[in-house]
Amino acid sequence: MDFALPDDLLVLQRAVRDFAQREIAPVAAELDRDPRYPRSTLRRMGEMGLLGILTPEAYGGLGLGYLAYAVLLEEIAAADAAHATIASVTNGMPQSLILAHGSAAQRDRWLPRLAAGEAIGAFCLTEPHAGSDAAALRTRARRVEGGYRLDGSKAWITSGGEADLYLVLAKTDPEAGARGITAFVLERDTPGLSFGAPERKLGQHAATTTSVRFDDAFVPEGQRLGEEGQGFVMAMSALDGGRVGIAAQALGIARAAFAAAARHAEEREAFGRPIREFQGIGFKLADMATRIEAARLLTHRAAWLLDRGTRATKEVSMAKLAASETAVFVCDAAVQVFGGYGYSADYPVERYLRDARVTTLYEGTSEIQRVVISRQIHRETAR
Amino acid sequence: MIIATYVKHVPDAEARLTAEGGRIALDENAYALDGMDEYGVEAALRLKEAGLADEIVALAIGPARSEAALRTALALGADRAVLLETDDDLDPLAQAEPLAEATRACGAELLLVGGKQADWDSAALGPAVAEALGWPVCDWTTELGIEGREVAAVHDVDDGREAWRASLPVVVTTQQGLNEPRYPTLPNIMKAKRKPLERQPLTANPRVVTLDAILPSRARRGVRLEGDAATVASELARRLRDEAKAL
Repeated sequence: MDFALPDDLLVLQRAVRDFAQREIAPVAAELDRDPRYPRSTLRRMGEMGLLGILTPEAYGGLGLGYLAYAVLLEEIAAADAAHATIASVTNGMPQSLILAHGSAAQRDRWLPRLAAGEAIGAFCLTEPHAGSDAAALRTRARRVEGGYRLDGSKAWITSGGEADLYLVLAKTDPEAGARGITAFVLERDTPGLSFGAPERKLGQHAATTTSVRFDDAFVPEGQRLGEEGQGFVMAMSALDGGRVGIAAQALGIARAAFAAAARHAEEREAFGRPIREFQGIGFKLADMATRIEAARLLTHRAAWLLDRGTRATKEVSMAKLAASETAVFVCDAAVQVFGGYGYSADYPVERYLRDARVTTLYEGTSEIQRVVISRQIHRETAR
Repeated sequence: MIIATYVKHVPDAEARLTAEGGRIALDENAYALDGMDEYGVEAALRLKEAGLADEIVALAIGPARSEAALRTALALGADRAVLLETDDDLDPLAQAEPLAEATRACGAELLLVGGKQADWDSAALGPAVAEALGWPVCDWTTELGIEGREVAAVHDVDDGREAWRASLPVVVTTQQGLNEPRYPTLPNIMKAKRKPLERQPLTANPRVVTLDAILPSRARRGVRLEGDAATVASELARRLRDEAKAL
């Protein structure tokens, strides 16, 4: 058993840490205060290779596995969570589904642009009344001559209105439930495709989130991904990768909050000594560090299992659950270590707490993760 | 034309130093390519991109871990690398001879060296290697170009800036302001593993031997003045005037 990351990965991790701390971290507070989609840093992330981590080198990606993906995404999130969210979406579903289910022509058409970051990808699954219950989708795709017409709306779409390519799940057969869902790729300038105003959110302000509407939007047949009715299965098969990504993001936010708290506890004095010497603070730091370490081990192991091609739904859900709950715990504790300053926007910890909060909600809430884990336990026990 | 660029693997400026057994003791990961050398690598890359150079060779002297600095230079865009491997902590003069030899051996006509090396905090290497090569040296360079067979450069001097020209071959030492070094991209880091890196054992005679290494103590020198406001203010004014010479 070897817990060390491979040497090659350590080199990449260090390069991304340097890049993220020098290029992304300095703009994080300003983008939180004055939200705008971070085009210029995303372009540089694309040049670095960070927007095509899993996509093979033949399509201009890095061709790395999920362990590397988790390690590098943690570095981005430690600099700014919003950048990590945008990166995880464009790295994730659009590229993994086009790679796995696209025709050769579709892969050639879209993957190089996405992997280089020349195009940002969005994933349109969630609807106003269908979040985790994906089978209840209402967006409809009607077959017409040469393609399909889409009608309906999507909610909470990361990079909505900003992304160039939208991977959309819609019902081609409303009677067939989850088996009636089909995947399509739409370009932003598709007539009939429109976007709502950016949502006003607790955190991650730079990761623009909007609703997406389809009004009789025409999609040529060549932009359908896979066969009719396969969309749901395709998306479910790629969920594990996305959840590892969110676990890694949560770890990055937690790590940044812990580092800030540990430093503050060294420097801040009360009653004539640094506050770390008070057990109330020292024990808090010990708990924060321990939970981060535990969540990281779960996350790296889940990613490692995916890289081995093992089915790891339970382990991935455990990692996502543990890392996101850890992030909220650690950021909240960091605010407490900072005392009154923790509540001030002049210090970063209140932003970390707001940014971390969504990690227990998206890519499956903590409750959904527990459902997944408990079902897997049942399967293992009842057989 | 071939450009040689010297790179040194030095403790990262943000590394927390410790000393053990009279030597600086650091984890391998706490070392990085010297920031001053990054300017040299970047300058070489820009000359090559402008069509003024054919090949960039990164040269390093140091222990096996120095390979990481060379890999960084290769990831940035150097074509090949040579490591003169030694575990001796060589002073700048002891490095100058082998570096001059390696520069000649690779056929370079321009050698770029960091204005100073972070580990010894010494600016001697550039001038010393120029002496060993018998080439002119332009130090602390902030602008660098090549026109025909001449190097045209600008460097800082005490009372301003000096423009400077010399026929190749030339040694140029770098400094902040010369350029804004790029980041190694992840695809290039991965490709750098496949670029040639040659290791040559080096036996050199250190002229300076390190006997001990002690970290500076971090005792605070702050002084708290006691008394009423008027007393404290006049004492503060006296100290600022007589001791700190700030008034």
